[in-house]
Amino acid sequence: MPALLEVENVVAGYGTGPDILTGLTLSIEEGNSYCIVGPNGAGKSTLLRTITGFLEPRQGEVRLDGARMNGSRPDQMLSAGVCFVPQDASLFPTMTVRENLAMGGYLIDDRGLLKERMDMVYQTFPALADRQGQNAGTLSGGEQQMVTLGRALMIEPKVVMIDEPSLGLAPMIADQIFEKITGFKDLGITVLLVEQNAVKGLETVDWGFVLDLGSLEFEGPADGILADPRIRELYLGKAMSREK
Amino acid sequence: MQWVQVLVLGLLLGGVYAMMASGLTLLFGVMRVVNLAHAAFILVASYITYVLFENLAMDPMISLVVTMPLMFILGVVLYLLLFPRLEGNPRYVEMTVLLTFGLALIVEGMLTFVFTGIFRSVRPEYASSAINVGEIFMPTSQFYASMISFALLIVLWLVLRFTKTGTAIRATMQNRAAAQIVGVNVRRVSAISFGIGMALAGAAGSLLSFMFPFFPARHWQWVALLLALIVLGGMGSIKGAVIGALLLAVASAAVTTLIGPTWSPITFYLTLFLILLLRPQGLFGAKVRL
Repeated sequence: MPALLEVENVVAGYGTGPDILTGLTLSIEEGNSYCIVGPNGAGKSTLLRTITGFLEPRQGEVRLDGARMNGSRPDQMLSAGVCFVPQDASLFPTMTVRENLAMGGYLIDDRGLLKERMDMVYQTFPALADRQGQNAGTLSGGEQQMVTLGRALMIEPKVVMIDEPSLGLAPMIADQIFEKITGFKDLGITVLLVEQNAVKGLETVDWGFVLDLGSLEFEGPADGILADPRIRELYLGKAMSREK
Repeated sequence: MQWVQVLVLGLLLGGVYAMMASGLTLLFGVMRVVNLAHAAFILVASYITYVLFENLAMDPMISLVVTMPLMFILGVVLYLLLFPRLEGNPRYVEMTVLLTFGLALIVEGMLTFVFTGIFRSVRPEYASSAINVGEIFMPTSQFYASMISFALLIVLWLVLRFTKTGTAIRATMQNRAAAQIVGVNVRRVSAISFGIGMALAGAAGSLLSFMFPFFPARHWQWVALLLALIVLGGMGSIKGAVIGALLLAVASAAVTTLIGPTWSPITFYLTLFLILLLRPQGLFGAKVRL
């Protein structure tokens, strides 16, 4: 049985610019959670954009359940079960929390199902239930991040790609967000996380990928990476020392 | 009483302006494209209306049934033909400005070739009559045109508010990337929005044909005016375009009455100048990132 998601020898970059990903290969099994760490410019966000169809690979293949997905549009990737949560809280600022969540279920036509999913999101994020009628643009950073994550749950994706969920959040709020992401696993959703804060990111997941200069340098159990002084020094030096 | 008269005349004209401007601002909101050819396409519809009136004696208000769907289809085709290849271009904004400027020139050239540069006008009976309510006077043509415009604006609002495609259009206007993330096919939405904007231009062309005489180069004047309206309202805000149109139309009617018709166009350009200086995002616009 093929892995849920496979990235094979992918080369990608923006416009006519240089290659950011330089032949990257990794694979993701259903039901696990993963975190991609690595220095700035390693290609972490570019990898997520390539998998989710926002950026077409120049070479190589992206496969979902064994099927080649190169050149699929973001909405096609979403219907296939790959959901993206980008780093800038990508909300509809003048729509209410409820409308934002409803937009998360844009691909769902069944109203009953939509309602059911929305109740599920409010259960997962009780803080949002109190703010249903409020415009998303007026929420705090942490609440906006919760709306974005909640919106991703609306279509019950197979795998959700989360880019820098802690960006710009106070440490305490960020911890709450990481806690929610840990909970995604219990909902049967595979998580692929990109996180600048390598320690927090790796603590949240089972398996870590270390990226550098656009290719995979190392992978292994997350706690192993955290404990390995050599990897910490080589690839995570800055990110780790920022923690201390 | 003179003030009521000015207000009525301004609002009548403003209704038509509002419809033209909302098509233009809708396009900007969805695609971040300033369609400099918007008024040129309005003129295309005016000439179609002219041909239908001269040859088949079709009432210009009836010809909306022809011009709107025709322009909708033309819009979708033009979009699919010209715009997708510019997507992702690092000079997208500059390229689309040049592209629509070129389109405007091509349309103007073709209209001049077919219809020559002389003034045309469509003259149904109501083009030269007036409605008097008490002491208030309303040109019948303007009254009809603005009623149709307001009706179409209400339809536009209903479509945007209550249909799935409308929701997708609003979402794309607010945040294109987020719309893609939730599964909106933004290319399809852009094509439909281009179609809707052009259909509104089609309606405007049919209505303007019996309000003002026209010739192929007339569109530069119209598009300059429309740009002033949507900048005042805030680029990409339909509510802003409607309110901006009504405000400026009333203001220009006031200037016409108080100072004289020669000075009425300056209302628009002076406002454009001031708004860019003082509040570049307009009345209802967010500060947009391009």
